[in-house]
Amino acid sequence: MTESEEKLSLDKRLGTLSFNKDPEPFITVDTETCFKCEKKPCLYICPAQVYVWEEKLVYNTEGCMETGACLIVCHKLGAKAIHWKYPSGGHGVTFTQG
Amino acid sequence: MSMEGFEVAVVGAGPAGSAAALTLAKEGVQVLLLERGSFPGSKNVFGGRIYTYALKRLLGDRWKQAPIERFIRKEGITFMTNENSFTVEFESKETQTSFTAIRARFDKWLAEEAEKAGASLINDVRVDDLMMDNGQVKGIIAGQDKIPAEAVIACDGTTTNLARKAGLITMLNPEEISIGMKDVTELPAETIEERLGLESGEGMAHVYAGYPTKGLRGGGFLYTNKNSLSLGLVVGGDDVSLKAIPSHTLMNTFREHARIKRLVRGGKTLEYDAHMIPEAGPGMINRPFTGGMLVAGDAAGHLLNNGYTFRGVDMAIMAGIAAAETILEARKKKDYSANSLRSYAKRLKSEPSLKDMYTFSKVPNYLRNRRLYSVYPELVCSAAEAVYRVDSKGKRKIYKELRAQTKGRVSTLTLIRDLLRGARTF
Repeated sequence: MTESEEKLSLDKRLGTLSFNKDPEPFITVDTETCFKCEKKPCLYICPAQVYVWEEKLVYNTEGCMETGACLIVCHKLGAKAIHWKYPSGGHGVTFTQG
Repeated sequence: MSMEGFEVAVVGAGPAGSAAALTLAKEGVQVLLLERGSFPGSKNVFGGRIYTYALKRLLGDRWKQAPIERFIRKEGITFMTNENSFTVEFESKETQTSFTAIRARFDKWLAEEAEKAGASLINDVRVDDLMMDNGQVKGIIAGQDKIPAEAVIACDGTTTNLARKAGLITMLNPEEISIGMKDVTELPAETIEERLGLESGEGMAHVYAGYPTKGLRGGGFLYTNKNSLSLGLVVGGDDVSLKAIPSHTLMNTFREHARIKRLVRGGKTLEYDAHMIPEAGPGMINRPFTGGMLVAGDAAGHLLNNGYTFRGVDMAIMAGIAAAETILEARKKKDYSANSLRSYAKRLKSEPSLKDMYTFSKVPNYLRNRRLYSVYPELVCSAAEAVYRVDSKGKRKIYKELRAQTKGRVSTLTLIRDLLRGARTF
């Protein structure tokens, strides 16, 4: 047992999942609006860290586990910048151990 | 397969959808069961346990063919601080009350049972909208396809697009949801049994309060599968956002606690999963029916977290059955109007197992009390520390020690109020 095995990084965790990329974007963000957002709750709620702040909001839906929680916190605590729907049928994440 | 010519369209092949489709198909109804994933269960995540009664009710003796991981013999709760932990454990003689499962196998199996009964399952279909006529649901829309149906049963999960389109629900609030995350760690069966004190093939369910969520609303959990452990956390949507703690970082905090570390040591991480959990109960939806449509499962808040038991799959199955029975009655009358489908609400409230949702309806509010996740677990641990420690300083009587421990943490009045409120809530 090595230390690195115990300290699982998020990348390692997301690497255990399989994704079938949706050619259509299923999440879009009005990132200009995010400058007005004080709390930026999307940065914290997402268990896949789809959203990060690098001088502006940057998002990468490739690790998205489709919880839908970002939409709720963005619209109720944030600046209502996220547009969200599920990936189209058969696309997105597949859980084999859920 | 053509998606035309069906009487009932069930959206979502989770436990609620498959139970509804199976019940309808058995009565000869032409049922279409739609799933957005590439197979049923591929989008679903839960902690780990299913209560057996609902499955028995749905399938009779066939329930035994379910892909069961382990029957739960041991229940436990641990109050944790950074350094200490205090555990209460219950071992039952009753061996088949509940079992652990993996949703990719369980949901798939249940949908196949619905297919065997005559339902038509189609995977890879995301349902986008409802066909409406004069306020009455007349079918569903998936991409370019319009699929007419006499009735629709929406079992489309926490985010429920369809209940929203029908105006039955508005967007949930952050305090009404939680994020669930888990690591599934592969270990040999014997290792699992040895580490957790289980007989061969037996299983356990354990919850953890306090430290795992850094005092945020929620808790940790551990379920034993055949050859893996499901170790995870549930954390409140409002808390995690406003305290600005990235949810996934809590997983490592929890996992590296001395008490947890030794359980998963040497294991291989099979998968990391996450899901959103509605926490507001059946009150989250205005009503679970409208003309031509019923809502069941997570979409209608058919689940129960009362702080010590976590139920979703059993309630989803029972709600699915209730939805199907409502449709069967409406079908006889050839009347799918809202008025005719109103009996669904009554069915939900009169079914003894589902009644628990209403019995414990004040629980979500009680569970928002943050002292439950910070002060009280700390109190339990430090009181235990004081009770068990023997040193040169001498000891106080237990009652005095408990009083001393509460000082500076919580006022006696607040403590009593929380206890009384608790007694009334649970």
